[in-house]
Amino acid sequence: MDDLREQIELLESSANLSTSIYDVQKSIDLLTAAREKIAADPSKAPLTLAKLHDPFKKTMDAAQKDLKPIYSGLNKYGKALDKKFKDKPLPSADNDALSSHPSLINRAIAMHLLREGQFDVASTFVEEAHRHPPHPEPTLNTPDPSRTDSWEQDLAEGTFNSENLQRQFADMYHILHELRNERNLEPAIQWAREKSDILEARGSNLEFELCRLQFICLFVQNQDDSVDDKPAGPLRAWNYARQAFGMFSQRYAREIQHLMGAMAYYENVEDSPYQRYFYNDAAWEEVAHSFNREFCSLLGLSADSPLFIAATAGAIALPYLLKMQSIMKERRAEWTTQNELPVEIPLPSTYHFHSIFVCPVSKEQTTDANPPMMMPCGHVIASESLDKLSKGARFKCPYCPTESHPRDAKKVVL
Amino acid sequence: MAELNSTKLNAESHLLLDQPLLRMPYELSRRNFKNAQRLIEHSTTSLTSTLSSTTKSASKTADPTQTLESLDAMISKMQGLKRKLSTLQEEEARLHKAAKARLQHLQDLHDVQSLVDVKYDEWSRVRLSRLLVDYLLREGYASSAACLAQSKGIEDLVDVDAFISCHKIERSLREGMSTALALEWCKEHGKELKKGGSMLEFELRLQQYIEMVRQGHESGVSGMEGEFGREGVSVGGGGGEQKLVEARAHAKKYLSASGDFELLGRAAGLLAYRPWDEVEPYASLYSPSRWSHLASLFLTTHHNLYSLPPRPLLHIALSAGLSALKTPACHSAYTSSSANASSSTTTVCPICSTELNELARNVPYAHHTKSIVENDPVVLPNGRVYGSERLRLFNEKVGTEKGWVRDPVAGKTDELWKESEVRRVFVL
Repeated sequence: MDDLREQIELLESSANLSTSIYDVQKSIDLLTAAREKIAADPSKAPLTLAKLHDPFKKTMDAAQKDLKPIYSGLNKYGKALDKKFKDKPLPSADNDALSSHPSLINRAIAMHLLREGQFDVASTFVEEAHRHPPHPEPTLNTPDPSRTDSWEQDLAEGTFNSENLQRQFADMYHILHELRNERNLEPAIQWAREKSDILEARGSNLEFELCRLQFICLFVQNQDDSVDDKPAGPLRAWNYARQAFGMFSQRYAREIQHLMGAMAYYENVEDSPYQRYFYNDAAWEEVAHSFNREFCSLLGLSADSPLFIAATAGAIALPYLLKMQSIMKERRAEWTTQNELPVEIPLPSTYHFHSIFVCPVSKEQTTDANPPMMMPCGHVIASESLDKLSKGARFKCPYCPTESHPRDAKKVVL
Repeated sequence: MAELNSTKLNAESHLLLDQPLLRMPYELSRRNFKNAQRLIEHSTTSLTSTLSSTTKSASKTADPTQTLESLDAMISKMQGLKRKLSTLQEEEARLHKAAKARLQHLQDLHDVQSLVDVKYDEWSRVRLSRLLVDYLLREGYASSAACLAQSKGIEDLVDVDAFISCHKIERSLREGMSTALALEWCKEHGKELKKGGSMLEFELRLQQYIEMVRQGHESGVSGMEGEFGREGVSVGGGGGEQKLVEARAHAKKYLSASGDFELLGRAAGLLAYRPWDEVEPYASLYSPSRWSHLASLFLTTHHNLYSLPPRPLLHIALSAGLSALKTPACHSAYTSSSANASSSTTTVCPICSTELNELARNVPYAHHTKSIVENDPVVLPNGRVYGSERLRLFNEKVGTEKGWVRDPVAGKTDELWKESEVRRVFVL
């Protein structure tokens, strides 16, 4: 890395075209001087020109010679690059599974741009992609992309052109902006109230958290401008609580009690046991974050951009995949299970979303066709292993002394 | 220990996707340098010879007008050279700046130790934007690419201009059906193309030949339509014949050196078979699909020359990523208990999210040798397995009565079970 940087700095500072340009200017000066001389005294023309010949040629040669350091500098830089990437091949097209689905990729990108709030870029992109629809190219798993293409295009068009989606995300950004930058809870509360039923069924307490934050804001605001000895903030908060907390009284009885309890300390909340509710700077970020998550979940989308997670995971996985490819090429081995990668890729645990069940008997991952089965003793093995072990009759669990009949085993969903 | 291994960031091996990032400005710098070299060489030879001839003619006459004129011409030529060099110098400085910015960007990665570091996330976001711009440029969506690069402030990390000129040529082939721009490009890159044994120029010349022959046949027919109609294999007369002769001369000049006699034989056959005769292999030579073949050939040649991978980097990163993340549960008919959209205790898996779900359908899923389940798994009477802590948390949030349990996937409306019906499950 450092030697590359040195080379570039060298090129930038000394080995550039400026010296050549300087020489070119010098020859221009020579020519102009000669011209003036001849114009002043035409009789000396042949002599002046003859005298001009050598210096002119010299400066031009110098201009050429000045290019040499650039040439060698670039060469050195090129060699350093080669060295740096010696054992790192350019990724080949072999593990590209996506060229056959360009409209789906375009859709994913458009949605990514929307969810990042890049509305301008997104609309430019949608417009441009519309004018020049992409050409699918065959890949390993989809040798004939034209067959599925029109179906995919229709699917992609559905979300691609949907102003609905754009509006949704515009709403989301508006609300997030109000939350984060303006500290205005109103739009978020209104959204949560509209979706109240769904949120509640999901076990989300977003609505309550928003209202609680609102309560706290009212409470802390303008502590000082008390009118007639009546503290304005806590009073406003009290009014708000009476009007807004009614519907939460069952589910969040305890939290509401806490908030009400804090009323008693309205003069010195800072020193009260309730201090942590009232002076929590992270609260805003937390609420914004959980709003973002709920909003995306209701649209069936993950909270972080899938494109981002997948591209990052891909970059982590790529060295392993390339190594595997080169090993397989060496051994001329074929990769027999087309629907499963042949190597394990160690991703950080934040990249694990679903539970994974690997049958302890067959060491295979369970699928819809071969689901995990729980025996009455509570041990789980894959359905195929169960069939093999039991052969349809009573059998002993491979992990404990319990015996059971295969029909008592129960399919579980992880 | 395992966790430590999987979060360690090995910056060196992480740079697989980033070679083009440094290669491109290097190749462009070289091209820039060569242009400068050529300009200076040309001017030197032409100007020194003009100077000698002026000197000679000046010694013959006493009239200075001509001498002055030719001196003026030389001065303006030199000024033209200086102007051109200055443009190249600006380009050079821009390329150096870009190369430095890119090195710095890659250096930033070396300063991050762990894949779970927030800094890595930031870096990776920049990388995603780079990959997206690269993809957009390759697909020919230049304004979107420029727009995105600008809004992310990564202009130094992407090569918008280079791709725009590349796509202009590609479009001129694919849509404009014209070889002019591509041939010009071949001339500029002649040396490297020759070294790489590229067939691009030959193919372009062949196409020119085919078009000449086509024109010849077409005008031949319109010239003699009244007399013979469209019969016989005879070569047309009138303007058509003239064109065919030109075509032969063109073939002699540009194609004969290739040594591929089989192809040359076929090319010669075109003189006898007309575009509408539908006789193979001549029909395929006449076919308009050759233009898109030429366009793709140009793209591969161009990408090879600039050390760009043949397919967009985004495809490569995504294909690997989709596989690494995909599990059998992502396209399962049953809603996964551990990651779904229906309860707020889980996050939606990126592969299950609308954006990537269809794309991931054809990629293999990740290989795992160990089960990964939540701590202390329990099973509900309906067969759904949850971590007991998560189940408790959900039921607390939904406000289920004490002693009862609800299924987080089914939500609030579905059946309730007694807590005693929840069983522990053993996953080895």
